[in-house]
Amino acid sequence: MNKFKFLATMLICGVVATTAAGCKNKNESDDADFISIEQVIANAKAITAGSAASQDYTVTGTPNFEVPTGGYDGSEVTISFYHTMGSNLKTVLDKYIEKFNVLYPHITVNTTQVGGYDDVRTTITTQLTAGTEPNLAYCYPDHVALYNIPKKVVHLDNLINDTNVGMTQAQIDDFIPGYWNEGRQFGDGLMYTLPFSKSTEVLYYNKTFFTANNISVPDHWFSESVDDTTSMEYVCAKIKTIDPTSIPLGYDSAANWFITMAEQCGVPYTSAKEDHYQFNNETLKAVMKRFREWRQQDWMTTQTLYGSYTSGLFVETGADKSKSYMSIGSSAGATHQRPAKVTVEDDEGNETSVYPFDVGIVEIPQMSSTNKKVISQGPSVCIFKKSNPQEVVASWLLLKYLTTSVEFQAEFALASGYVPVIQSVEQNATYASELAAADGGAHIAALAAKVCLEQKQHYYTSPAFNGSSTAREQAEALLNKCVSKETSTVNKMINEAFQDAIDECEYA
Amino acid sequence: MVDNKQQWKAWLYLAPAIVLLLLFTVWPIINTVRMAFLEGYGNLSSLNADKTFEFGIENFEKVVKYKKFTTCLKNTCLLCVLTVPISTLLALVIAVCLNSIKPFSRLLQTIYFLPYVTNSIAIGMVFASMFNIIGGADISKAVSIGIVNNVIEFFGGERIAWISTGSSYSANIAVMVIYIVWNALPFKILILLGGLQSVNKQYYDAAKIDGTSKWRVFWRITVPLLSPMIAYVLITGFIGGFKEYTATVGVFGEKMGPADDPGRLNTMVGFIYKQLEGDHQGLASAASLILFGIILVITLINLKISSKKVQY
Amino acid sequence: MAKKLAPQQTLNTTMVEKDMKDVVSTEKVMKVIRTICVYLFLGFMALIILFPFYWMINSSLKTLEEYKWQVPSFVPKTIVWGNYKEAFKAGNLAVLFVNTLYVGIVSTVLSLVITVLSAFAFARLEFKGKNALFAALLATMMIPGELFTITNYITVSKLGWTTGDTGTYAVLIIPFLVSVFYIYLLRQNFLQIPNELYLAAKVDGTSDIKYLWKVMIPLSLPTLISITILKMMGAWNSYIWPKLVAKDTAHTLISSGLRNAFTDANNDTNYPVQMAAVALVSLPLFLVFVFLRKYIMKGVSRSGIKG
Repeated sequence: MNKFKFLATMLICGVVATTAAGCKNKNESDDADFISIEQVIANAKAITAGSAASQDYTVTGTPNFEVPTGGYDGSEVTISFYHTMGSNLKTVLDKYIEKFNVLYPHITVNTTQVGGYDDVRTTITTQLTAGTEPNLAYCYPDHVALYNIPKKVVHLDNLINDTNVGMTQAQIDDFIPGYWNEGRQFGDGLMYTLPFSKSTEVLYYNKTFFTANNISVPDHWFSESVDDTTSMEYVCAKIKTIDPTSIPLGYDSAANWFITMAEQCGVPYTSAKEDHYQFNNETLKAVMKRFREWRQQDWMTTQTLYGSYTSGLFVETGADKSKSYMSIGSSAGATHQRPAKVTVEDDEGNETSVYPFDVGIVEIPQMSSTNKKVISQGPSVCIFKKSNPQEVVASWLLLKYLTTSVEFQAEFALASGYVPVIQSVEQNATYASELAAADGGAHIAALAAKVCLEQKQHYYTSPAFNGSSTAREQAEALLNKCVSKETSTVNKMINEAFQDAIDECEYA
Repeated sequence: MVDNKQQWKAWLYLAPAIVLLLLFTVWPIINTVRMAFLEGYGNLSSLNADKTFEFGIENFEKVVKYKKFTTCLKNTCLLCVLTVPISTLLALVIAVCLNSIKPFSRLLQTIYFLPYVTNSIAIGMVFASMFNIIGGADISKAVSIGIVNNVIEFFGGERIAWISTGSSYSANIAVMVIYIVWNALPFKILILLGGLQSVNKQYYDAAKIDGTSKWRVFWRITVPLLSPMIAYVLITGFIGGFKEYTATVGVFGEKMGPADDPGRLNTMVGFIYKQLEGDHQGLASAASLILFGIILVITLINLKISSKKVQY
Repeated sequence: MAKKLAPQQTLNTTMVEKDMKDVVSTEKVMKVIRTICVYLFLGFMALIILFPFYWMINSSLKTLEEYKWQVPSFVPKTIVWGNYKEAFKAGNLAVLFVNTLYVGIVSTVLSLVITVLSAFAFARLEFKGKNALFAALLATMMIPGELFTITNYITVSKLGWTTGDTGTYAVLIIPFLVSVFYIYLLRQNFLQIPNELYLAAKVDGTSDIKYLWKVMIPLSLPTLISITILKMMGAWNSYIWPKLVAKDTAHTLISSGLRNAFTDANNDTNYPVQMAAVALVSLPLFLVFVFLRKYIMKGVSRSGIKG
């Protein structure tokens, strides 16, 4: 029976813990209202395109890599490249590494598929401690911030400007500026990464349904008057009257939604400099509160709230099933936003398979037409410091080759669904013909890429620092919590949720 | 003489194990202790030559002061207290039943072992999909309510939000208990059934002649004879239980809770992992040592009880 | 049902005296009811145990589109056997199988030797600090192993094991050779073998190794086989470490190879193919169990000490 003594001890453990949890002093936030949505809109509209530079790219540091005189000396070097490409993309990469080896026969390139982006980060952070990190790696900005704690990431500035191995001004200008600047968001204005392949968020809508019901495609979020037919709110309400069981809008990533709202409203989210976490502000609280009303009317959902891919809701065609008619997701995931083909019989009795509805793609709704913002995502590549500078130069040569080669960028973009990072790809014959064929059915990926490229001047990226990934996680949690948590004191709950998120961010 | 020779032999036999343990277990532990007492230690930060860390207990203070530390501790203890006895008892009953039958015994043994050979990634996703509710804000209009709710409604019950938005803490814990028990069963059944089959049949024959009731036989003969196996299963169960993390990730994903309350089901190891992800090895080490202390106390109690109760 | 019970019934009746026929018949009824209950219980639990497994197979035969259906189907609408083919090809499973088998076998054999020797020392030999050492060993099980990863990685890098062919295998095998779990398990088993046997063998002048080989090992075969299976399974399922140290496909183990293989550019996993791969990978382990189950279970009865 001693087992029970044992259990009793365990139970006491649990009870003590519970009581301790109950004892923490409740932060009595007041229940005062936030600023009005009208004010939020007015503030957003007051931002002019010029003043919207939310990021400061002033160079304050000195590049940490000196290119050896003469550049690459032709010596035998082996470099390693960690990525996350599936087998179809790896085929493309291997093909161009072969071509690269024609130019530089003495550079051996080993590529390793390390898993997902998080796996790359974990592997490299561990390897950094033992000095066995690769030469190049797929990266997201927050990874680079982590690698940069021991200052192991090569600043690319000197390499870019080098007379022997550098880039020409034309090559630099060819990069889509939003993507290029992503490499300089680390607070000191220096260049840490080059963009590799990119995507953005777009609004997919059921074009057939919109046309049949004479609904305009929304281009901004909130209604400014009752007959504001192009606002998301108006469209959602209208769809609800037509199909009451629907959830009109599905937004895949709650984190992106939160961060994008901050950008569009012109309020801070995070900063690369001290006092990193700045999202605890009235504007975002007001927006969250408004979204909570949306949720209560079943106008919108996110992947986490919904419990499954929101694209599944969008491509649903069953007559008695709940559907969504708008879906905001990655432009690289266009094929998932296309309904499965159905077989129909024409007048002569021939069976053909067609898409049950046509998908339209436009840029996501905005707060202000003068301060359009849309997130830029997708991998960049960084180079690690090595004792042999030739390895660094060789890595740079590979990176330069892959990012500036029109053929590679075009082929890679076609295979992956991502968009190329240089503008001249649009003149590439294969790519151009693919773009020209873009439609909401068979060539939906091309349509997504086209929409993505059309808004290239609106891309933003959020600052990267050690902890920016925590901020992103908290942003996701915050939106989901604010719109769905059951409470009788909404403002208080939102206040506490924001404070909680800030505390979590600042903890470590 | 004999004693000395035995000493010498014992260490010789233990040498390979000890050498490897020193290198790959003891040294990491020492290193863990070192990191735990270096304030704000991070592996990556430590690579900077000019960076030094103060010696102190700040890491421990910081761990304990973490707002959700008690949540993590509570979840860990609760899951442990619930799952270990349930799974052990269930495994014992199944093992005894399996041992008492002849037809289909082989087939059933194989089935009960199946979960052991499947991959935890896959199973976590499967469990999540069995309990998940997919749909909008109104649960009564959900698109899909998961097979478990289908069964409940079939028997006239009401659907429950198990793990989705708006689910209650007790529902979350219930799902975790089911998953962890499911996961733990095959190993426990294997050990206990193996033990049962080595039990001398004569004890049972004697009991049968005496006309002892089955229930009495179970408690008076089976359980005591199995006590070493039960002790093993309990100790490893508790140790494993306190290190619970993967099951929660399997069911709830990295957010460790339902959508409207992420982190609600976070555990001690979940907290440690999170710190390792950033460059906070000092904090992670301190938390590990705290966890270690808790497990140590539990295990010592456990060993003390079993040294009294276990019959070899 | 009654037919199946026949042998037990005869067994029962022989044991009961003839003049107790009434009691026997009620006892018979009770026994039938009890047996039915046992089967119902076992059958029900078996269904619960099987369900997720069935679900995995079910998912592995679906198209990705069908897998993502909001209301999942219990039988795939279109059965895609191609998932298995693709899993085998895209996952490079052949190479992974061979690697895993190699690492699994080598580490199992070495691990068994170490475990048997240590368990013997703890169960049979007397030496100073035995209990303290054993307690210390048990204590090491209580620290989350994830914390060891980084330190161990630095250690093997400093030993120069992360480069070269033999090196990579050494890294995959050596750090995990000793398992306190197995030592504990085997020690418990050894302890059940009466000490008299050992003392008798000592008197006969039998060497320790011979005694181990002739008496202890056969008597604890089931435990050893269980350990073998657990260890092989460990090699099969190990994930974090192989991913860290194996830098090319030639050295990748199955589990880490698996997870990577079916992710496309969007970080979007082709789950049905992944499930197919998981099923494929589970199959050898499953067969091993089916094949060795006899040894595990029947072997136990032989280890019962008679007299």
